[in-house]
Amino acid sequence: MLNRRRVLIGAGALTLLPTLSAHAMVPFRLGLTPVFLDNDAEVISRMRAAFSEALGVDVKLEQRRTYEEVTALLLEGSIDAAWLCGYPYLQHKEALSLMAVPVWNGRPLYQSYLIVGTDSTAKGLADLRGGTHAYSDPNSNSGYLVTVSDLVRMGERPETFFGRTIFTYGHRNVVRAVAGGLMQSGSVDGYVWEALAKTEPALTARTKVLTRSEWLGFPPFCGRSDQMGTPRMQAMQQAILGLDKTEKGRAALSLLQLDGMTKAAPSLFDGIAARMRIMETVRP
Amino acid sequence: MFTAALMILVGFLASQQVLAALRQVQDARIRELAQLQIEALSVALGPLVSRNDIWGVYDTLDRASGQNEGQRLVFAAVANAGGAVLAATNPRRAPVDSNIAALTKGAQALDALSVAGKTAEIKVLAPLVYQGREVGQILTEMDVSDLVAARRRVSRWLLIGNAVATFLLAILGYLVMRRILMPVTRVVERMRESADAPEPIAPSDMPAGDSEMAQLARSYNSMVGAIGAKAEADRRLAERERFVSLGRLSSSLAHEINNPLGGLLNAVDTVQKYADRPDVVRESADLLRRGLGHMRDVARATLDLNRLDHTGAVLAAEDFHDLKLLIEPEISRQQQRLGWEVGKITCTLPAAPVRQIALNLLLNASEAAGREGRVSLKAGHSGGRLCLEIADSGPGLSKSACARLLGTEAAVTGSGVGLRLVRDLVNQLKGCVSFDRAGGETIIRVELPC
Repeated sequence: MLNRRRVLIGAGALTLLPTLSAHAMVPFRLGLTPVFLDNDAEVISRMRAAFSEALGVDVKLEQRRTYEEVTALLLEGSIDAAWLCGYPYLQHKEALSLMAVPVWNGRPLYQSYLIVGTDSTAKGLADLRGGTHAYSDPNSNSGYLVTVSDLVRMGERPETFFGRTIFTYGHRNVVRAVAGGLMQSGSVDGYVWEALAKTEPALTARTKVLTRSEWLGFPPFCGRSDQMGTPRMQAMQQAILGLDKTEKGRAALSLLQLDGMTKAAPSLFDGIAARMRIMETVRP
Repeated sequence: MFTAALMILVGFLASQQVLAALRQVQDARIRELAQLQIEALSVALGPLVSRNDIWGVYDTLDRASGQNEGQRLVFAAVANAGGAVLAATNPRRAPVDSNIAALTKGAQALDALSVAGKTAEIKVLAPLVYQGREVGQILTEMDVSDLVAARRRVSRWLLIGNAVATFLLAILGYLVMRRILMPVTRVVERMRESADAPEPIAPSDMPAGDSEMAQLARSYNSMVGAIGAKAEADRRLAERERFVSLGRLSSSLAHEINNPLGGLLNAVDTVQKYADRPDVVRESADLLRRGLGHMRDVARATLDLNRLDHTGAVLAAEDFHDLKLLIEPEISRQQQRLGWEVGKITCTLPAAPVRQIALNLLLNASEAAGREGRVSLKAGHSGGRLCLEIADSGPGLSKSACARLLGTEAAVTGSGVGLRLVRDLVNQLKGCVSFDRAGGETIIRVELPC
């Protein structure tokens, strides 16, 4: 019954698209964090243009410094949807629903990289004991969860394994911190590192990838579950999924070095969930 | 030389003043820039440092130092209140948690900042104040190579400018000095050009006014006039001496002419008385011829002596014959003995001055020898020179006579006729006079190059 209702609402939403466009009422608010995008004005501008065109209403991109802030905004309804990380999505799985997952190199998957400076002699995570380490965000999968869960797996205490840790609140900042020598190692989104290797090769050239994690679910677009049935959210989901269908959408995707967007089941993030469970074993 | 050194010193001091002023301007500028930079960083870093936000500090410093190429800030490190480094633009140089004291050596305080020295970078250590509280320290290194280079450039141009200015001023000074000293140069040239008879400076070349130089020129001209007057006086004195010697000769010459006259008149009377006796007339005529011939010779010799300046005749043995003719009356008047020894004379010396020299010396010798004394003359060649040796049995030359004959000082009056004239004539002929005394005789020797 519920499924049928959802289908009907979905069909209704499709038929309502022109109507929504015609009314052009309240702007759609999409949350972003610099953790991932690092304030790339052109990317943000292109995404906004692509979404506004597809949706027919103005799309406001709300940026906050941390995943926690954006997640909080989404949960309280201050924003309609957000491009989050798999880790905060899973942390609030009951309240949030997947709208779309980006496709990178043909798959909705990415890795976490453990990077060090090019002059480092470390062979693995174990060699970084007592050193300095840069995480991107405490709610980032690739920029925090993967490394700390690996340490737990190794029987280490993440809070004491490194001599000094910092949060840079941006994957690009992690690369900057390691490349500049501020920190000896860092946990970074593999997709971001690879994208930077193309756009800023001089920056990534001063770092090297020490280890790569298993393939994990790519950071998804999420909305509140209780809003997912509304025409507004349906329209937005269609707009996100259809980014590769429009010229502006393709331009945005091209800048993001993504192939497109796809629907995904929550099971895509099982790998992250597994790591969360590891962490639960050491948390009170 | 002194002027040039003074100019260089003035140039050097002026350059130092300019460089000192430039240094002050640069110091003020760099102080202002450093202050602005540190204040701007303090505003941005204050809250970050107060909560030990390492990434925030690094991100701020990294953005500040990477704003544009060629900017002044080359290094910055920020420490918390405990002195532990939070972040630096180059973390490898100042790692997180290291002590900032390891980097502060040579750091200057902001209010005493100076760009002195040749280092391209200066280090500034300043407290980081946030909300009125010192939350940490900030160490910055600033690139001042452009200021140092500017100062070096200014120094170089000052050096070149000073060298050129000093060179030009030295040339100008030389020209001015040369112009100032022109009258002196003119006097020196006049003196050099005519050492024997200096010439006065022409009125057109006289410096105007009553300056020292004008006085010098006027004094010089007065001196030249005095020298000319003295030369004229000397010439007249020499002339007078010549006439004196002639005057002395005249009485004996009058006797020489008068003595034969009685005999000649007797001969005329004899001719008149015995006109009908051809042998007596012939004998008397011979006597007349000899007497008149002697008188003619005496007259000619006297004329020749008087014609000193007009004849260009070369000295010959006949000249000594004439001299003997002229001196003999004086010798015989004093009943003296005359020694006469003249060798072969072959030279190109002019006759007149040599005759004058010999006659004057013979007259003096005769006077010195006294009655019944002895006078002698020897003339001949020796080693390409004509040697005249006049000796007498007199007491010798007085000191003043000796000075007049041999000395070089101005003429002094006294006995001894024409000794000064002798000296002058010998000098003109580039010869030399010597005086000796041997065997009770005074010997004056004259050597003249032929």
